[in-house]
Amino acid sequence: MSRNYYELTYIISPVLEEDQYKEVIEKFTEFIRDNGGEIDEVDEWGIRKFEFEMDSKSSGYYVNAYFTSPGELIEKLERALRIDDQIMRYLTLKYDAKMMRHRELQRKNAVPTVFVEEQEDDEEDED
Amino acid sequence: MIKNPSHPKKGHIKTRECKFTKAGIEYIDYKNTDLLQRFMNDQGKILPRRVTGTSAKYQRQLSQAIKRARFLGLVPYVADNLR
Repeated sequence: MSRNYYELTYIISPVLEEDQYKEVIEKFTEFIRDNGGEIDEVDEWGIRKFEFEMDSKSSGYYVNAYFTSPGELIEKLERALRIDDQIMRYLTLKYDAKMMRHRELQRKNAVPTVFVEEQEDDEEDED
Repeated sequence: MIKNPSHPKKGHIKTRECKFTKAGIEYIDYKNTDLLQRFMNDQGKILPRRVTGTSAKYQRQLSQAIKRARFLGLVPYVADNLR
C-alpha cells in the first residue's frame, strides 16, 4: 500500500466557541490517526477574514495540516469533511517530488524569496 | 529585429526574466498570498505572461496556486476598484 504526503486546509465556520474549534480539529486529527495516517504538523491560523463573502460569512477559522497516509484515507476524510456542517471548505493536496523539496526548504525556513521590482506595476494599467 | 543594431525599437525592448526561475523556486505555494497578489491586478485578475515575464512553466503553477487560494478565500475572485 502506497503512502503519500498530503496537505489539508479546511475552514471551520466562525459561529463556534473557542473550545469548539479545538474539538473539531481534534476530531479530524484523530480521524486521520485512526485510519492509518501519521500527522506531521497541524497549524491553526485562527480566525481570518475572507476576501469575499462565503456562505454569507465574512471570516473563518483556518486549519492547515500535513500528514502521511495511504491514499484510501483521503476519500473517507473528504467524505467526513463534506458531511460536517461546521466545515465550510476544505482542500487536500497530494505532494509530489517538487512540492516535497519545497516543504523541506520551508521546514528549514530557506524558501528563496521572489523579488518583484516595483516599476513593473506601473505598466499594467492598460485596461 | 533584436539582432539588428539599427532597429528603431532596439533599446526600448526590455528583456524580462522569469522571477521564479531567477529565485530558484520549484513550487508556488497558494498560502503565500502576498506573492500571489503581486501577480494580480487591482481587480483580482491574474496578470498575463507578457506583463510579468513569467515563464510558461511557472505561469501554469502560478495560476493553479491563485485558483486554489481563491477557493479558500485567501485572495479575491473579483475585487471592486471602489476601495
